[in-house]
Amino acid sequence: MMPDKIPIWKVEVVTQNLSYLLAGLEMTLVLAILSMLLGVLLGLLIAAARMSRFLIVRALAGFYVDIWRSTPFLAQILWVFFALPIVTGFRISAFAAGIICLSCHASAYLAEVFRAGILSIAGGQRHAALALGMTRMQAARRIILPQAVTRMLPAIGSQSINLVKESALVSVINLQELMWHAQTLAGFTMRSIEVLTAAALIYAALTYPQALLVNYLHRRFVVNS
Amino acid sequence: MPYIWRFDVVIANLPILLQGLWMTCALTVLSMVIGLVVGLVVALFRLSGWRILAVPATVFTELFRTTPLLVQVVWIFTVLPLMTGVALSPFFSGLVALGLNVAAFMAEIYRTGIYSVDRGQRHAAHALGMTNAQTMRRIVLPQAVMRMVPPMAAMWVALFKDTSILATIGVVELMYEARYLASDTFRPLEIFTAVAVVYFALAYPQSLLVNRLYERFRVRE
Repeated sequence: MMPDKIPIWKVEVVTQNLSYLLAGLEMTLVLAILSMLLGVLLGLLIAAARMSRFLIVRALAGFYVDIWRSTPFLAQILWVFFALPIVTGFRISAFAAGIICLSCHASAYLAEVFRAGILSIAGGQRHAALALGMTRMQAARRIILPQAVTRMLPAIGSQSINLVKESALVSVINLQELMWHAQTLAGFTMRSIEVLTAAALIYAALTYPQALLVNYLHRRFVVNS
Repeated sequence: MPYIWRFDVVIANLPILLQGLWMTCALTVLSMVIGLVVGLVVALFRLSGWRILAVPATVFTELFRTTPLLVQVVWIFTVLPLMTGVALSPFFSGLVALGLNVAAFMAEIYRTGIYSVDRGQRHAAHALGMTNAQTMRRIVLPQAVMRMVPPMAAMWVALFKDTSILATIGVVELMYEARYLASDTFRPLEIFTAVAVVYFALAYPQSLLVNRLYERFRVRE
């Protein structure tokens, strides 16, 4: 079966409504940047908790990481938006649900990145630093962290890419980011070919430079170390 | 008034959820097979050295790796029929989208696996008089495959979770059933919690296995 007529690409549908798509892009950027910042902060706390000396703290932090990493993001966003308000009694906005979910999700993955980065250095080098008379803080600051941080950079970059891609899913709770704007515009103009392709290209334009940066950081800091 | 949990709602609808779960598992297996096969072809194209094959293969992997899966799924479900005139069911569009998405990541796993074998070994094999094919079969591939196993297993777990995205185009898998039941029974808390537990119970042991694999196949050079 062939289509009635070969579809003609009407790029002007996108160019004329570009400001509408860009409004969605703005929300996507706000979501990605804010969640990344919160995710890094929360991830540091969780990583520290996972290396705590107390078993109960370690176990709780481990459970937190496993829950966020072993369930689909879609299940998480629907749970936070629809189920959490029933537990707490507070209704939350789609924006709040999106930020909570994206940053907690990112924090679980980032906590593992931080932990793996620190563990990859700790050990012999830490003992050597302590043997040279450094305090534990000095060893961490001068020996372990500088090496660990550079090794973590590519993995942190990958998480940032994932966050941008995952943020498209919050459109299911009607949080009006790029994907929501694209689907709405596609429905409104009946030109899903151009609009959805444009959305895909905008996402690629957001993440591809990050991917190149990750590759560069990987070559620079991981492979050569 | 304290909220009263009603997990009997979940029990009563268990057959529906299990049916969804079956579909989720079927989707995971089928897209993994597609991904493994198509990914291998794409990787071979990229490694072929012929630009006419390598460039499209690179564009394919980069496009599928840099755009959200949701965009890919919706694109293949709504745009592809408009362009080709072939309308696929939600199941097949979802399968194609997931399969191609996995293929893009698999192609990178194959490629980096092969590149990760030290170049010196290839040169040594050549110096010993092996042909290219012999070097590949006897020296490079046996080591490369070992290094591909852990990331492939990790991909499998990610895929299992990602199948849930197909609910948005109406593929009747676990997440779709969950959303349907949540609005049908007015019990989103119990239903969504139960479904999250099901995903967790299935994905968590698998991710433990992935960790074991990373330990087991760690490269020592």
